[in-house]
Amino acid sequence: MKGIVFTEFLDLVEEKFGIEMVDKIISESNLESEGAYTSIGTYRFSEMLQLLQSLHKNSGISIDKLLLTYGEHFFSVIDKSYSGLLATYKDPIEMLSSIENHIHVEVKKIYPDAELPEFVVEEKTEDSLILIYKSSRAMHHFGLGLMNKTFEHFNSSATIVLEKIKEDGTEVKFVIKKNPHESREN
Amino acid sequence: MNILKRSLNILLIEDHMIEIVKFKKTVSYHDLKHNITEAKDADEAFKILEDKNNLPDLILLDLNMPRISGIEFLSILKKDEDLRHIPTVILTTSDNQKDLEECYRIGVSGYVLKPLKYKDYETKIEAILTYWSLNELKKY
Amino acid sequence: MNLEKIEILERTLKRERAARKAAEKILEDKSRELYLLSEELQETNLKLENLLDEKSSELKGVFENILDAYVVMDLSGNVLKFNDAATALFGYDVTKEKLNVLNLIYEEDEVYAMTSFGELKTKGFFKNYEARVITKSKEIKWVHINASIIFDRNNLPIAAQGIVRDITHLKLLEEQKKQILNKLEKSNEELYEYAHVVSHDLKSPLRTIDALLSWIKADNLEKFDSETVQNIELIEKTVENMDSLISDILSYSSADFAAEEVDVNLNKVLQNIKTTLFIPTNITLSISPNLPIVKGDSTKFQQLFQNLISNAIKFNDKEEGLIEIDFIEEPTFYQFSVKDNGLGIEKEFHEKIFKVFQSLTKREDSTGIGLSIVKKIVDLYKGNIWLESTPNVGTTFYFTIKK
Repeated sequence: MKGIVFTEFLDLVEEKFGIEMVDKIISESNLESEGAYTSIGTYRFSEMLQLLQSLHKNSGISIDKLLLTYGEHFFSVIDKSYSGLLATYKDPIEMLSSIENHIHVEVKKIYPDAELPEFVVEEKTEDSLILIYKSSRAMHHFGLGLMNKTFEHFNSSATIVLEKIKEDGTEVKFVIKKNPHESREN
Repeated sequence: MNILKRSLNILLIEDHMIEIVKFKKTVSYHDLKHNITEAKDADEAFKILEDKNNLPDLILLDLNMPRISGIEFLSILKKDEDLRHIPTVILTTSDNQKDLEECYRIGVSGYVLKPLKYKDYETKIEAILTYWSLNELKKY
Repeated sequence: MNLEKIEILERTLKRERAARKAAEKILEDKSRELYLLSEELQETNLKLENLLDEKSSELKGVFENILDAYVVMDLSGNVLKFNDAATALFGYDVTKEKLNVLNLIYEEDEVYAMTSFGELKTKGFFKNYEARVITKSKEIKWVHINASIIFDRNNLPIAAQGIVRDITHLKLLEEQKKQILNKLEKSNEELYEYAHVVSHDLKSPLRTIDALLSWIKADNLEKFDSETVQNIELIEKTVENMDSLISDILSYSSADFAAEEVDVNLNKVLQNIKTTLFIPTNITLSISPNLPIVKGDSTKFQQLFQNLISNAIKFNDKEEGLIEIDFIEEPTFYQFSVKDNGLGIEKEFHEKIFKVFQSLTKREDSTGIGLSIVKKIVDLYKGNIWLESTPNVGTTFYFTIKK
């Protein structure tokens, strides 16, 4: 897993829970990297699982909720670093439906060894989208967080219903409906 | 034979003396007395043909002639409104296929190759004489 | 700050350091990788540049060394470049004087030239243009040109180039060849006519002799003794032989004079032979029913088959003679066979018999020219002739005729 996912995660933990929590979850986990992450490195996914598990235990917040918050946070990372990529889109539905065919293709160019989830478009209208998420990592709520922020980015919002196709969360259906008549001024 | 036979006015265009004798001899054996006019070359022949009241019934023409050749003579003859109707039969030793085709193209009534044997020659000439004495010619 | 907090900070610092070192190592590795990559790229670039240099000097070499003239002009026909051969051909030095290709066109070829020029612009090229040009010294030359448009990087036409070959000499030779062929054809025709005239002149006296002899006989039927009658008959025979010799020589000498080629139905040709040739009653002539239609002169085919058949008749000694005409079809030719059950021919004569005046047996009815005529006709139609024979059993002549 790319280092930036770890560094951004720990930064967020520090921001929300304090440096003690960061130290705690690192110390409690059995990490090959010993918690010394750099954004340009690559680390085992199991380290992220342990860190999440530990944070869940110490904060009492569900892993899905943690991932959702992290996903929302991570969108700002993308926005900062790849605003150009986002600017090619005018509409959140358009953007989400091109994750597989455009965004992930671009990501692969920058990080050839990145292991990315699959997002298959099952149905698409002007203001609705059904995506099938497939990944052994089962980080669907991370995706949900990113999706929420995507709508926000385009000054709109959506109702996103998440249905697990596989119990372990490695295959999940996202039913996305853009909310009507909404043009929030941020 | 009860069919009416006609004696013919024949114009023989031939420059070779023995050939003339051969022809005359053969004709003399025929059961009808035909009238033969001789011409040694084309000029002489045309002179004879000037007398429009006394045109021959049949012209026998040798292809090998001095000055104006047989084919040239034939061409002139067949272009002449007054003369073109006269049946003309070629009598020659040359079996040049080109000559034969050319003669039929211009319009001859027959092309007779002179055989070597005098007997065969007689047979052929008699056939010609018989044919033209038995069949119809243009009436004047 | 309590001790615990300090320890946390220390651990954090330690992690940060370790992370920094890891990042530095990654960066260092990456920059080494980049350095090597750029080295490699530089090397490739150098190679490419060398190759380009090589190509352009090769092109320059071609431009300078080709024997043909090479011309580059703009799209209005103004000459931009001549190689040495072009300068030599047209006589203009385009480095010193302006020249438009329109000035080179020979007046009579102008329409053709303009059509080709139009084609060059619409199609992008023209090929095998052959016309005359006028050089600076007002000389007229025949040239052959292949031309094409030169495009720039954006695929826009910017100029045209042409390779020009001086074919004046070739054209001259072609013209000469045509004249010679014409002449040859004419003299061949004259020869053919001449042969006929000669044969006529030779045959006429024979007819006279025969007529005279028959009159002498008729006039002296009672006076001549048997010996004189016999002698007269010998003269007649001699005259006959002389006549057929003249006929054969004539057909031999005109055997390779080909008339216009037409479709010849060999079934008709053979039927004609069957009805005109004298076939003794003891000889059966059997002809394959579906003979092909060939291209050629029907008289020649008639001569060809007639000579072979009459030979087969002449040299048949059997009580029941049999002559069979057959053929097989091959992809590019027909192979015919004339088979008899006659005398047969000894192996040593198989080649010889096709030579003129080579008769195996001294016979009064054979001039020895027949098979030479056959050979000449087969040659004329690009075929072969050969035979298989067993003495006293029979002979089969085979010949081929190209389709």
